[in-house]
Amino acid sequence: MKNTDQKLTKKDLWKVFRSQFFIRSCLNFERMQNIGFTHAMSPIIEKYYDTPEEKQAAIDRHMQMFLTQPMVASIPIGVSAAMEERLATEQDIEPESIDATKTALMGPLAALGDSLINGTVRPILAGIACSLALSGSVFGPILFLICMTIVTIGVRYLGIFKGYEKGVSLVTELQKSGLISKITELASVAAYIVIGGFVVTNVAFHLNIVYSAGDAVIDIQQTLDSLLPSILPVMLTLGVYKILSKRKISAILLMLIIMVLAIACTYLGIM
Amino acid sequence: MLFLQAFLVALWVTWAMIDEQTLQLQTTRAIITGTVVGIIMGDLQTGLIVGATVELMFLASVFVGTAVAPDVTLSAAIATAIACLSGGGVEVAIATAIPVALIGQTMNTLQYSVVNVAILHWVERGGKKGSLARVRAGNYIALALNFVFYGLPTFFAVYLGAEYVVKFIDMLPATLLSGLANGGGMLAAVGFGMLLTTIKCKKLWPYFVVGYIAAAFLHINNVGIGLIAVTCVFLHNYFIDQKANNLNIMA
Repeated sequence: MKNTDQKLTKKDLWKVFRSQFFIRSCLNFERMQNIGFTHAMSPIIEKYYDTPEEKQAAIDRHMQMFLTQPMVASIPIGVSAAMEERLATEQDIEPESIDATKTALMGPLAALGDSLINGTVRPILAGIACSLALSGSVFGPILFLICMTIVTIGVRYLGIFKGYEKGVSLVTELQKSGLISKITELASVAAYIVIGGFVVTNVAFHLNIVYSAGDAVIDIQQTLDSLLPSILPVMLTLGVYKILSKRKISAILLMLIIMVLAIACTYLGIM
Repeated sequence: MLFLQAFLVALWVTWAMIDEQTLQLQTTRAIITGTVVGIIMGDLQTGLIVGATVELMFLASVFVGTAVAPDVTLSAAIATAIACLSGGGVEVAIATAIPVALIGQTMNTLQYSVVNVAILHWVERGGKKGSLARVRAGNYIALALNFVFYGLPTFFAVYLGAEYVVKFIDMLPATLLSGLANGGGMLAAVGFGMLLTTIKCKKLWPYFVVGYIAAAFLHINNVGIGLIAVTCVFLHNYFIDQKANNLNIMA
């Protein structure tokens, strides 16, 4: 052991900030992000542990199964940094409690990160960028890249520094305040509105069926549009949703089926 | 010229995969990859359109837990390259994105279940001696291998394969092409359908109708829809807090 009288400095935390970016570099189906987590903790292990045996014990501690959304992984990394510091300087916590804390955090955080970032923020920004790109403006992709850079770097900065500052108390705080379920609910609001709108603006699905009885000509698509505009894309999306949530069918297979049906309908002249 | 372009596209795909596994600036996404490949191939407009279309197809395609998603990067890069080489044949290029996404997904699975597991065991043998250098090296090797998994196949697909695909496209009948175009327009429904399955609070579905009305009846564009969503999030948050306050008063 060395430096046991020193707390982690800002400089140490910045080292952790930089090494956390490897969290899912060697994602493996045996223990997921464990190498990444150990990599993220490496500046702290180097600061406090001297002999190979001590280092090995610390490495083993972090090489256990770990999996959460990569950006919010910064939070358990920050909390673990605080706990490792406590273990090295005060030695009044059990080493096992570090792994227990990581495990307690990873489930709820994965749900939060997936629904908020991957399921809401990114698709909204991407959808806006796509409509700009489809109208020929390179500003769309640039805007998307800038916004997502702010999100990914910002979340990771806050995760490390706030996670370290709050330490273990963050776990009880998150559980008690109901913050995670509140954010999940708000993310659902945004996701529903955006999907409802984007389906109309981004899915193209028109029928070309015309009945003519004498002088009267009935165009199915025109009739639909005057009653419920863009109802076909909406029905298609809801149909896909029903199939995906009921059956274990790959999205790729569904895409191929849609493609084949579209080609068939085009040959039949009804699309 | 094509050699250089294929090499640059391969380098970009390798970088995008490394980005996904480190910084996550989202250069992996089709909207960025399509645009960049369009610039490399000298046709920015085609790049933008293919990138945006593939992005919408895979809007919710994301790695969740252990379920590997269809690969967006590889399919956007190769579809864009083919579209640019065929002189802007967007529809067919998008149809090629589907099988390529499946190949990319298989590569992902192979990487995570075989190669990275082998690296894990190599790292663990070093970890027994307390070697942090070995831990870091494991990550660096895994990142470098992205060139083998994604960079090289991209290079060969663009340099050798694209020409044949373009010739093949030229032979296709016009009805089939417009069928592919019709199908391509519908594919975004799969992306949105997938996104719907990820939503946690199913009871909030009326908000879906809010978005639908805004777009279909009021013709509000995507930016406006985004703003409505943000507004409703704040309102909904206000009502949650009100409800919590009321409960506190009653208690």
